[in-house]
Amino acid sequence: MKIKYYYRLAILGIISIVAIGCSEDFLDVDSRENITAEDRDENFTPEDFVTGVYGMFTEWPYAFSYLALTEIVSDNADKGANAGSTGTDKHFFDELNYTSTAPSLEAMWEHWYKTIGRANYAIAFAQQEGGPNTERLIAEAKFLRAYTYFFLVRSFGDVTIQGEVEFIDGEEVVDPEVDLSERNSQEEVYAYIEQDLMDAISVLPVKSEYAANNLGRATRGAARAMLAKVQLYQENWTAALENANAVINSGEYGLEPNYEDIWREYSENGVESIFEIQARGEAIAHGVQQYSQTQAPRSDGIINGWGFNVPSENLVEAFDEEGDEIRKNATIIFRGETLWDGLEVSTAAANPMYNEKAYSSSNLAASDGDKNIRVLRYAEILLIKAEAEAQLGNLQAGMDALNEVRDRVDLEPVSGLGQQELIEKIWNERRLELAFEHDRWFDLIRTGQAPEAMAEAGKEFEERHWLFPIPNNQLIQTPGMEQNPGW
Amino acid sequence: MKLKFLSFLALLITITGFAQEKTVTGVITDAGGVPLPGAQVKVIDKEIFNVTDFDGNFTLDGVVPGDVFRVTFLGFQPKEVTVGSEGEYSVVLQEDASELEEVVVVGYGTQRKQDLTGAISQVSSEEITRQPSSTATQALQGKVAGVNITTSSAPGSEPNVSIRGLGTALGGRNPLYIVDGVPVNDIQNISPSNIESMDFLKDASSAAIYGVRAANGVIIVTTKQGKSGVPSLNIRSFYGVKPVLNQVEMANSSQYIQYFNEENAPLNGNTLNLQQDYDTNWYDEITQIGSVNNTVFDISGGSENVNYFFSYDYYEEEGVLQDQKFRRSTITSNNTFKLFDDRLKIIQNLNLAVTKNNNKPFGAFNTAYRQSPLVPVFYPNGRYGASRYNQTTGEATYVAGEGETIDNLTQHGNPVLALDFANNQSNSVNIQGSVTAELSLTDELTFTSRFGARKIFSRGRSFNATRDVWFAQDPTRTLERFDQLKAENPENLAYANNSLTFNSSETYKYNWDNFINYNNSFGNHNLDVTLGGSREQIGIGFEDNYRTYEVPEQEQYWSVKHASGDYDNFVEQYHYTPTNFMSYFGRVQYNFNRKYYFTGTLRRDGSSTFQNNADYWGTFPALGVGWTLTEEEFLADSESINFLKLRGSWGELGNANIPYNTSQILTDPTSSSQNYVLGPDQNLVFGSFIGSPAQNLSWEVVSEYSLGLDYELLDYKLTGSVDVYHRTTENTILQVQPLLNSTFSTDFYDHGAEVVNKGIEVAVNWNDRIGEDFSYSVGGNFSYNDNEVTQVRTNYEGQIGGSLNNGRITKRLEEGQPLGSWWMFESNGVWQTQAEINNNASLAGAIPGHLRYEDQNNDGVIDDRDKTYQGSYIPLFNYGINITMDYKQFDFSLDGFGVGGNKVYNALLNARIGGENIPEDMFLNRWTGPGTTNTHPGANRDIEASSYYLEDGDFFRINNITLGYTLPEISDFVKNVRVYVSAQNPLLFTKYRGFNPELSGYDPTNPDAQGPYGLSGVELNAYPLTSTYLMGVNIQL
Repeated sequence: MKIKYYYRLAILGIISIVAIGCSEDFLDVDSRENITAEDRDENFTPEDFVTGVYGMFTEWPYAFSYLALTEIVSDNADKGANAGSTGTDKHFFDELNYTSTAPSLEAMWEHWYKTIGRANYAIAFAQQEGGPNTERLIAEAKFLRAYTYFFLVRSFGDVTIQGEVEFIDGEEVVDPEVDLSERNSQEEVYAYIEQDLMDAISVLPVKSEYAANNLGRATRGAARAMLAKVQLYQENWTAALENANAVINSGEYGLEPNYEDIWREYSENGVESIFEIQARGEAIAHGVQQYSQTQAPRSDGIINGWGFNVPSENLVEAFDEEGDEIRKNATIIFRGETLWDGLEVSTAAANPMYNEKAYSSSNLAASDGDKNIRVLRYAEILLIKAEAEAQLGNLQAGMDALNEVRDRVDLEPVSGLGQQELIEKIWNERRLELAFEHDRWFDLIRTGQAPEAMAEAGKEFEERHWLFPIPNNQLIQTPGMEQNPGW
Repeated sequence: MKLKFLSFLALLITITGFAQEKTVTGVITDAGGVPLPGAQVKVIDKEIFNVTDFDGNFTLDGVVPGDVFRVTFLGFQPKEVTVGSEGEYSVVLQEDASELEEVVVVGYGTQRKQDLTGAISQVSSEEITRQPSSTATQALQGKVAGVNITTSSAPGSEPNVSIRGLGTALGGRNPLYIVDGVPVNDIQNISPSNIESMDFLKDASSAAIYGVRAANGVIIVTTKQGKSGVPSLNIRSFYGVKPVLNQVEMANSSQYIQYFNEENAPLNGNTLNLQQDYDTNWYDEITQIGSVNNTVFDISGGSENVNYFFSYDYYEEEGVLQDQKFRRSTITSNNTFKLFDDRLKIIQNLNLAVTKNNNKPFGAFNTAYRQSPLVPVFYPNGRYGASRYNQTTGEATYVAGEGETIDNLTQHGNPVLALDFANNQSNSVNIQGSVTAELSLTDELTFTSRFGARKIFSRGRSFNATRDVWFAQDPTRTLERFDQLKAENPENLAYANNSLTFNSSETYKYNWDNFINYNNSFGNHNLDVTLGGSREQIGIGFEDNYRTYEVPEQEQYWSVKHASGDYDNFVEQYHYTPTNFMSYFGRVQYNFNRKYYFTGTLRRDGSSTFQNNADYWGTFPALGVGWTLTEEEFLADSESINFLKLRGSWGELGNANIPYNTSQILTDPTSSSQNYVLGPDQNLVFGSFIGSPAQNLSWEVVSEYSLGLDYELLDYKLTGSVDVYHRTTENTILQVQPLLNSTFSTDFYDHGAEVVNKGIEVAVNWNDRIGEDFSYSVGGNFSYNDNEVTQVRTNYEGQIGGSLNNGRITKRLEEGQPLGSWWMFESNGVWQTQAEINNNASLAGAIPGHLRYEDQNNDGVIDDRDKTYQGSYIPLFNYGINITMDYKQFDFSLDGFGVGGNKVYNALLNARIGGENIPEDMFLNRWTGPGTTNTHPGANRDIEASSYYLEDGDFFRINNITLGYTLPEISDFVKNVRVYVSAQNPLLFTKYRGFNPELSGYDPTNPDAQGPYGLSGVELNAYPLTSTYLMGVNIQL
């Protein structure tokens, strides 16, 4: 009896132990410190993350460091500002003696990779979530990713293709196979870019198919135009021509009749526009941060911009040589000039010339400008077509396309040029037509004109300048990564 | 029901008993004939009980011949005596010869040390209190093999404790403490004098019973309980003074001037006059002799049914900075109630600790080191000294005449000013306790249920006299100017007259454990089984933060209510997210004839931290085996080998204290990079991006193999143990700092590394007695631990740390190196001439007199790629020696502690901006021109971190020398009086050029600083080492 009694107690005890674990609900603790995603009343959609990729193009690196890598380094532009204002390293680019530690290089390198990171995440998220327009949004992100890799491959040559993102059990996982210290060959990178653009072309609507409130998104035309340019860089003339023709024949685009109108607010996303970075200057302004401010006339008492990235004498000469008054005046603000909007640029301004294509009339030197930045426009497609035709030996077709561009700015049509002459004419046309549109340096490198052009601009172009150096801090983080030759 | 039955039975026996009852008396003594007061005498199976008086006498009434009484006394073997015809008995108790008879606490139970299969070290109360400290672990440096304790001399500081090496980089580096069954993260609320014993569960098989929280070891703290016997009142009190030990001798004003002028010569050529007004020794100005005092009263005793222990403890320590104080009052009440014929025991522990801290900024030590001796504490006009000089005249003054310019001597402030205006207090009330019911179901089966809880109220207040500080910082400032600025900037908080900040928080945790112990022997088979479950909730509570502006100057009005109202108050309040644990555990201990041992442990833990994971339950198994060689025939008769046992174990443990990790999807209602404009009107479209991804974090898993040997030799005089282990933290969590070309832009946490700790622990103790009056012991222990990050995930390398606050870092994570290893330039001399610089790889801006650095990759450029790994701040080995001697009434003890094989960074010497003061030897040894030295840089040097400033961390310190005298018997009333004098840390042997090579990184304002990528091993704002000279008295009534 005694034994039985204890047994019962023992059983009771064991039951009470087990009772502790009866409800696993005990382990489900509600978050109090931070509001969980599901309770935050924020339902993130694939569209949000794609918007987040677009947003990267409005960030500060595109307003300052970008100028150094695309224009100041070239023969089109000088650093500007005054002697003491170096913009940290802009003078090194101007003098062609930058090194791998230049902050502008690192800023763009990092910004481009973080843009790709956002695109990778946005694509994975859209694939995971689905919903309306998923395919289109993925295609837009791929377009932006391709555009960004295009910058990287043009600047640095072989670059790492970042691991793509995949959702596993609801958590984002970056492809663990990818070693960020290894560089992919240019061919691989270009193939990756082309694949992205091709995917985009197959999905994206053409410009006119978009609803009005989607104006500004990447279009099929933009992807095709980008592909044509990418193929131009690979000297794949047939393909470049084919895609340029497809854009031209799409009926979506044409030339703005008046060259200088291209940079007015009313022509934003206009007939000539194939792709541009969108900007608005009102309350909660959201333009490319300080893009207009860094380039606006400096210490003239009215605008008080920073005055960086100013047109060079060399560029003025190039315009004059061609007798190209229209584009010269549309591209360059001369000190003392009265601008189209009636604003007078003081003769007291620090520099004789400024970049007019960055000038924002309504925002002057406000930090967030309203200036859409033109990335791809119809005239460039005509020039791509012209160059491809010329390279393929179709000289007349090449001259026709070129003359279409020249005609708008009242220049004499060219005729009877030999192949090499024509190609060089087209290259020069690109310079004048696209000055300060962040194309010059890459074009000099692509066409091999760089050593000669730099010599003319009084700079010493060395073998290593064909590529920018990999930023030093990247090599410190990944010591296994190889530096470009000569750096 | 049961009760009634029993008492009825008792009644029956009493009534029907017809044997002759009688009274017996006796005396209990030890082998030497010394009476043992307080020994317990109990007649088996009867309610007859007595405790010996002061002379060892006892009386038992109502016994009959044939009854057996049992005599027990702590530290002696119990003895049973059968009552015969005599009326008087002399009982001689034998002392427990072997310390292996001692009982250690193993987690949900106890075990004889002899029967262990794992590595557990026990420390007794005597060893803990030998060195006065606010936290017990501080006193245990060098006492336990395999346990590395790094302390700071700052009042109220918390030591770093690592058991068998460091495998965790972030949260949960410190061991888990179990205080009377309550799992807690620290024992700062427990008075060391109340601790009966501390058991360090070092190997995985011992700690596995605590599963997911045991990865970095477990320390079980048992507080004192009353012992049956007459009540005893103890009073223990000491008072001590604490001067700074090993102060660095700084350059005086004339040396400083010369150094300053040499430093400036290649820069701007500004010089100081050789004659100046002041020669301030800043360390003298900011430091004082600290003090410590501690008084403890405790009452304890017990009867057959109740044991009680009550104590009040007051500890006060004043630091070496003025007004820096730590005070703690502790009330402890521990009672044991024995009911139903000892079948049910209720054990109640309660600890109440009230602390009050006056904090002072440790940055003052840093500033005092750097500030120029030419700056006075105060100018004659009463204004605080400022680091200024007149560039034109070369005079160290802030006064400029017409056309003269003033410049800074250094970029540092006046440390006395910083201390004077620092007004920061923190208080806490900590209530911790447990109630345990132990029910003996049968002789073999015990059921235990325990509820434990801890509640902490803490509150901090800091007052910043903004206006006065602004005024004091620069002698040229006027209060009128401040008021003008205030009027011009009405919204600007920088011009509020003062600000007052409160932080308060409440946290609560509880645990409820139930378990069954079954203990039985079947012939030679001994079995002990524990089976149980536990649920625990930690981190329940909230935090309130308030800041207000412009309260009246008088302290009594410092509240939000009395603020002027001109500025908006800042309020923040939120609740913590608690963490819940649910666990099952079981342990089987088996031995055959105390010769072959086997222990198996299994714990299954669920933690709410991992509720989003697929598997938030983890299982932690462990095995242990033991073989007592001395039980075998071939050793059984050995004279010299008394005890020899081999142990082996394997186990897995977890660390669930992982960083908070959630996907941060960032949105922003303003113009930010995740937004964009679209459409003909360019409407703002809000987007989002992921800042840091939440990777699926799980517990860190540690697996360990361990082998050990326990020995007792030469008639139990030589005892000790040897252990080796191999411990792998398989998935250490890292704070991943994104690479420039990686996907995400902010730091995030992920499992990324494997860390291996390998080591040896040796403990040896010699115990002997010479003649009647002299006994002594000499003990020592040695631990060696090799730490290595054996694997890092691709793209995760490169976590950096050890920031010197000047843009330079000193530590970096890489595979093949120890955790927290140093990474910097290797200095290989001093540039002697400009030609040398021009012809070799050099750092940009190098001039003769600068350190030159090794071009490790031979690329002709000195940059980060030339930085190399240069060892670790973690000692490779540490050792302790302990000597005790007793001669008649005198007792003497000496303890020493040392570490070696590590490097520490002298950041005080290195991290300069320009114009700072230097130690005298740095001045005397400096480079002054070609050929003077190729080791020490000149007065003008760069700020890079390099091996020049990385010094050997080896040191040996005498921790304690104590001499005590126990007074001869004074009266019947006073049982024991002992007076003693003691010197703590009187001597430090080191080659280190700074203050203290022992650098835990402790900083009350920055808890992260103690981690491997914080300031551990870096002397920058570190508190200097202090000695303590004290005298005390212990009285037992």
